[in-house]
Amino acid sequence: MQTIETSSRAGEFSTLLRAESQTVAAWTVEWRSRRVATHLAVIVFGAGCFGAAMGWWRAPEQALYVAIKFPFILLLTALGNTLLNAMLAPLLGLNISLRQSLLAILMSFAIAAAILGAFSPLVGFLVWNAPAMTPDVKSTATYGLIKLVDVVVIAFAGIAGNVRLFQLLAQLAGSWRIAGRVLVAWLAGNLFLGSQLSWIARPFMGAPQLPVVFLREGALQGNFYENVWSTIFQLVQFD
Amino acid sequence: MNESSPIPPQVPPPIYGPRPLGDEPAERAVIPNVIAAIEAVLRQPRRVLFQLRQPGASKLIAAMLFVAIGCSLIYGVIVGSFSGGMQWWAAPVKISAGLLISALICLPSLYIFACLSGSQARLVEIVGLVVGLLMLMTILLIGFAPVAWLFSQSSDKLAWMGALHLIFWGIATIFGLRFLAAGFSHSKARSNAGRNTWAVIFILVVLQMTTALRPIVGSADTLMPTEKKFFLSHWGDSMKTPDVKSLQDSR
Repeated sequence: MQTIETSSRAGEFSTLLRAESQTVAAWTVEWRSRRVATHLAVIVFGAGCFGAAMGWWRAPEQALYVAIKFPFILLLTALGNTLLNAMLAPLLGLNISLRQSLLAILMSFAIAAAILGAFSPLVGFLVWNAPAMTPDVKSTATYGLIKLVDVVVIAFAGIAGNVRLFQLLAQLAGSWRIAGRVLVAWLAGNLFLGSQLSWIARPFMGAPQLPVVFLREGALQGNFYENVWSTIFQLVQFD
Repeated sequence: MNESSPIPPQVPPPIYGPRPLGDEPAERAVIPNVIAAIEAVLRQPRRVLFQLRQPGASKLIAAMLFVAIGCSLIYGVIVGSFSGGMQWWAAPVKISAGLLISALICLPSLYIFACLSGSQARLVEIVGLVVGLLMLMTILLIGFAPVAWLFSQSSDKLAWMGALHLIFWGIATIFGLRFLAAGFSHSKARSNAGRNTWAVIFILVVLQMTTALRPIVGSADTLMPTEKKFFLSHWGDSMKTPDVKSLQDSR
């Protein structure tokens, strides 16, 4: 009995990953606690594993910290924008409920987290093969490579999650145009909030010259966009 | 898109278009309370527009006004959380009062523009459309509130926070004005020029109101400004000020 239940849950998840959008669209109609719990567990485990792999290069404690922070960012992004996303969908032509919009976003995050989790052994292997993170490693190609691999995997997971979300929205709306509008609005909101949450939750990879901490001192001082703005401003100042 | 879908497409009828209001039975259903009003303005705007034309629309308008005031007060608390102190209560009161006063100031011109454009809308309907605009705008601001709060807690740059609130207000206003435009499209208006002009006036009035009632985001020694300024000049001055939360009204 237990085996059947486990395999059916695995089957459900593969349905989600395969983007069987008709079936997945039907899942948004009703709230099934067990299914939601599965999606949450995938987010916590998948993003947690990737976070651990990312932080491991700096120190085991850093791995633990990032394993906790990374899933939190995804979950807080989904929850922080729940109301807004639920309001924007009908205003942009897709009459879905708050529950449906939350479930749709959770599913897309679960897909992204599953991809991140699947890539975490590879990132872990890469880190295992890298020299220790010492202050001089920042100037080496290894540092750049690991950073690049992390970014590429996160970008790939994000794109895949959003492609699946788009397919789901198109199924719900019966129109690519409406689905596109809603996706762009949701994406903008999630990126905006997610970037700031990631900024607050620094460090991820960690810096060799700084101590291992859960959150940097003054985590709530300044924001991501101010930093981007001042960086651009510094770059264009010639005098 | 796919006919074998297990659930039908969840697309509401277009808010604009030639179909008369009340065409569907769902649009003729009475809006009994504030929760229903919130749901309706987001999901069934045509139902709100239809109900505004019915006798006894004043009850619906009162409910929408109540929601608009409540939501603007809540968002005001989020705005006030940036500076704290007196702004905890001053910002909500100023935002709520500012929106209402702006709407009141602009209401007569909207009625005149509506009549000039050949609209058959009655004054009560125009009032309802403006209140609906305010309600939709403030409901959307509540949607932005968690994000605004997070930035309020993690930023000490006044100009940045002011710009962020303006962006959120701008997005909310676009949807609010779309609701107003939908109402006009069903009122047999021959031209949209008056309505578009009014939209520009309304935006300018609200922007100036933020300066007339300053400080709203930052803080000052006095509750109200001691110097009169145009909003562009105020923004320019705000950009030059130091990046601290407790700025004085000299800005």
